[in-house]
Amino acid sequence: MMPELADIPNDFIRGELDEFVEREDERTELISLYAAAEPHLLEIAAAIIAGENGPADELTKGALERGSGALQIMDDGLIAGMALVGIKFRENFIFVPEVLACARAMKAGMAHIEPILSASGVEPLARVIMGTVKGDLHDIGKNLCIMLMRGAGFEVVDLGVDTSADEFIDAVEEHEASLLGMSALLTTTMPNMGRTIEAFIDADLRDDVKIMVGGAPVTPDFADEMGADAYGDNAVECVEVAKRLVGVAGEPEIV
Amino acid sequence: MSERIDQDSVELRRRRLTRIFADIVEHAQAQSLTRCPYRDRRDLCTARFGCRNQGPVDGENGLAVCQCDGQLDYRSAWEVEDPDLVLAAWREGARQDDLPEPEDVARPGAVCGRVVAGETLFDVADRHEARVDSSCGRVGSCHECVVEVLSGQDLLETHTPEERFIQDGFRLACQARAVEGGDVTFAALRRSPIVLIARVESDVVPHPAVCRQGDTVVRDGEVVDRWRGRMLGLAVDVGTTTVAAELLDLESGQALCRGGFENPQRFGGSDVISRIAYDDKHPGEMHQAIRQALNNEILSLCQRADVSRHQLYEILVVGNATMRDLVFGINVQSIGQRPYKSMVEHEWLAGERSSTALDESARRLGIAASPYGRVVSPPLLASHLGSDVAAGLLACDFDRRQERRVFLDIGTNTEVVMAMEGRVMAASCPAGPAFEGGLVQFGLPACEGAIDSISAIGDGFEFTTVSDGDPVGLCGSGLIDLLAELRRTGQMSPMGVYEAEGGRAKELVVVDQPRITLSRADGSHLAQAKAASFCGQYILLRLLGADASDIERVDLAGGFASSIDVASAIEIGFLAGYEPSRVQRIGNAALEGARQLLLDTRRRERLDQFLETIEHVELETTDDFFEIFTEGCQFKPMN
Repeated sequence: MMPELADIPNDFIRGELDEFVEREDERTELISLYAAAEPHLLEIAAAIIAGENGPADELTKGALERGSGALQIMDDGLIAGMALVGIKFRENFIFVPEVLACARAMKAGMAHIEPILSASGVEPLARVIMGTVKGDLHDIGKNLCIMLMRGAGFEVVDLGVDTSADEFIDAVEEHEASLLGMSALLTTTMPNMGRTIEAFIDADLRDDVKIMVGGAPVTPDFADEMGADAYGDNAVECVEVAKRLVGVAGEPEIV
Repeated sequence: MSERIDQDSVELRRRRLTRIFADIVEHAQAQSLTRCPYRDRRDLCTARFGCRNQGPVDGENGLAVCQCDGQLDYRSAWEVEDPDLVLAAWREGARQDDLPEPEDVARPGAVCGRVVAGETLFDVADRHEARVDSSCGRVGSCHECVVEVLSGQDLLETHTPEERFIQDGFRLACQARAVEGGDVTFAALRRSPIVLIARVESDVVPHPAVCRQGDTVVRDGEVVDRWRGRMLGLAVDVGTTTVAAELLDLESGQALCRGGFENPQRFGGSDVISRIAYDDKHPGEMHQAIRQALNNEILSLCQRADVSRHQLYEILVVGNATMRDLVFGINVQSIGQRPYKSMVEHEWLAGERSSTALDESARRLGIAASPYGRVVSPPLLASHLGSDVAAGLLACDFDRRQERRVFLDIGTNTEVVMAMEGRVMAASCPAGPAFEGGLVQFGLPACEGAIDSISAIGDGFEFTTVSDGDPVGLCGSGLIDLLAELRRTGQMSPMGVYEAEGGRAKELVVVDQPRITLSRADGSHLAQAKAASFCGQYILLRLLGADASDIERVDLAGGFASSIDVASAIEIGFLAGYEPSRVQRIGNAALEGARQLLLDTRRRERLDQFLETIEHVELETTDDFFEIFTEGCQFKPMN
């Protein structure tokens, strides 16, 4: 028997799916995913779809205490929630700010999962410091990058916006990060990337960390001129660049 | 719990997440062209910085209402300033300036700022990072930087000779200089030219590159995607000036939606050679500009047709060698130097690739299609003669008919192909933009108010304009008519000298109010543009040993050919002396050819075979080229 909408043991998700997922193939796929999930894991998915930080955190913790497996929580809670978020965004029911809120909720859940993965020997790919440079308050591009980096298995420390060279240096030292990502959206703040890199050289820390840069006005030439190790044109490329910098081969995706 | 956590099981989940996120990022990038990414679904602004589009603050959550109308505030922040200048400033170790404060302005997109005596409005626009188009290096000849001055007119010098064609209240940003300092407000105008999409269509039995098999979509025997309800394709003609596109259902062949837009690469110059030079100085920007504009168009077509871009499996692009390669992000520098061949053609000639056709993953190019979509382009003919000409020839069955025939695609670059007694020859003639709105003082692309036909009546002229707008200038077909009428009525000699009462005149008045004139310099630009088209036809006819009157069929494609008066064009030697009744206008043949190639892969093989039989002629290597060109500069029928 093919599972039906009514078999999904969560009112909120049932409603969301019915309202926002129109394509037959996606409906079928998501219905079978949700119908087979434990109700308490679906609540995690629901918190993520609703973009609610606190509940995602609490519910994931609770699920682990009840004995659910980390991978199962990822499958039926975190990824299951994000899958629906992606569809709602693609169909323009929600926009970037909402997606980022959902990604934050997912991160709250993942915070409980990561230590378990580490304990089983699956370490994060690398620890990365990210922030927009001094004077720049435009953070959407950087936030999308962080979302992808975390999904791909990096441990990201987000310094937010308007980050001074000293703050970048302190963070790299404190977290012993091997990677630093800087973004700028204004031609006026772009040179601050170069100033930050110079500050790393002055502090004799340049060799400890690989530096990658990005942002709409930044060009590969400019990145090169400033002494960055790599440049990423968009968030997807950012992950590939980061993997290359830390020596994780970017394998072709299997569809 | 007996869950086994290992590298592979975690990696599997990371990949699943990466796929979801990659789709999100891709959509976010495309969407950010028309909708500010900081604007949430309640249309509130989530930005933590000032923006001129922020309206009143919503009491409940403390966020400002976004009043953006699609003229995105943040985009100008990186679109205008020359990266070279920033780089130079960086090299000089310039100190960081404080962030400019967002300002109040009277209308979206308007610039409000202080002008210093001696500065032009362009200087003010630059300082405010506002976008104003220009392709002539700001010398007043391209007419792209027209701005409407909303306040502060009195601070500016009076109209310069270059600005004679525009009315009060409007200025060329590069010419309007301040006499004294003060506050000015002005807004850039954007003229949208009419994009030619119409053409003669023929029936195609679809045989697309992808097909449905049960619940899957299959390409070349491999499953590429699950079935998503339908399979779409996009045919695109990327012209130097305009881009036309058509969204099609690959199974039924039905056209769902059509659209066109101005090629955004215009900031890099109006012709192919300027674009190549620009791409050398600023690598990647031309590619970026056309890629983003294509994505924008795809999303808008999908929205209008109410379909998802995830159903778009193939995009077939045609264009001249430069335009096409810029879409694919290929280095175009070799096209600008002798022997004017693209990298792709060089590689093909060296045996490094089997064809000059291109085939790339949409995702790799960053094109907003299905992640499993392909972007393909048929082979090019040779040198500048691109896949657009190849597609155009296919559109009018040039390979199938045994007549003596001519194919002419008239545009910034005019292409001539002739078939005679089994031989087929092709040549490219760099005409330049004179007939498309460039260089000529009152020249315009075919936009509202452009005079598109004109005849001499008594002392004056009678004319029609595009969309019946008030006359603002002349587009290509109007210029050809005008030249022919001036010749017919004896007001102009074949050498382009105007005969007026009591001797020669420097310029001719075409319309009194508003004043529209044709100067000697205009005549000379038009003569040279016309000569390019003349040379192509003359040299090919001579090589094939034919007379224009022998030609049994002439297909005129593209550009202003659709509104051109054939008799006028023959009268001034723009067209050879063909029998006018054998000349037909076939509209945007490149787009039609692209559509046929997209829907029917069998035609791709047919085209490959035909292209091998075409001989490419380099006009400028003809011994007496210069004499022919000089002859072609005269306004008289071709002998």
